[in-house]
Amino acid sequence: MIGLKSTLNVIDNSGALIVECVNVLKNKVNNGWGSVGDEIVVVVQKARPVSAATQASVNAVKVRRGDVRRAVIVRTRKAVRRPDGSYVRFDDNAAILLNNKREMLGTRIGGMVSGDLRLKGWGKIVSLAPRVV
Amino acid sequence: MRIEKCYFCSTNVYPGHGSAFVRNDAKYFRFCTSKCHKNFKMKRNPRKVRWTKAFRKAAGKEMTIDSTIEFEKRRNIPVRYDRELIQTTVQAMKRVGEIKARRERAFFKHRMAASREKHKAHRKKVLEATKSKSSVKLLEPLAETPVKEKIKVAVIAKSALIQGEGRSMGMEID
Repeated sequence: MIGLKSTLNVIDNSGALIVECVNVLKNKVNNGWGSVGDEIVVVVQKARPVSAATQASVNAVKVRRGDVRRAVIVRTRKAVRRPDGSYVRFDDNAAILLNNKREMLGTRIGGMVSGDLRLKGWGKIVSLAPRVV
Repeated sequence: MRIEKCYFCSTNVYPGHGSAFVRNDAKYFRFCTSKCHKNFKMKRNPRKVRWTKAFRKAAGKEMTIDSTIEFEKRRNIPVRYDRELIQTTVQAMKRVGEIKARRERAFFKHRMAASREKHKAHRKKVLEATKSKSSVKLLEPLAETPVKEKIKVAVIAKSALIQGEGRSMGMEID
């Protein structure tokens, strides 16, 4: 259940740490609540500090505090129903930042993601994740 | 498809049943019912909750060391489908179930025999304690109540009531 003002952890290496949801995109079915696999618009609330040494490398920080970006939800505390009828919930709410072409902003994912993402068409993220649950 | 065990009470969780919680270190906790899930959320230890399998095993209330238990185990080796193998497995499951039930009965009998003596001694002790305490008095059965004598009364031959019209009754007034 991600909606306006929800905060999420960012688990990729784009540089953002905590983001705040400002809009759930094109989801009129669930009364505007976002779940795993839904795209949202976020504001970066906390990011890793920008240092000159890492700026040239792959691990460069790509976002700053206050940036507005799109993201996809990968874990929710609210239990999500699986196609087989069981329910799965996680410890926290987490997201991965996207660019305008709905591709990942970062290059790596540092944490597990929900297996429901594959069903929703986020196979790229699932293949990059170290653990899929 | 797998039949998993509930994290809290160790009962079977069939596909499509129950819920699961995934901790941030990717440990998967499966629950058979909301009761088990709630108990987990209350941070209760399944070994200390009396109705769980974990408690019963830890307290010696159930058979723990037996070769029949070894059959039902999680094996992470994939087995190629073989019709013959499945057939013999199904047969073996029935036989193993029978043997397990018999052994469990014997275990229960043995456990009860030991506990019966203990129970008896305990009850005796409690009874002695209640007798010795002055505040609790055991009631004596009451003495037999005397039978009341029957008194004979002469019946008035003629009633003052007379039959009225229809279903009502009237009264003769002088």
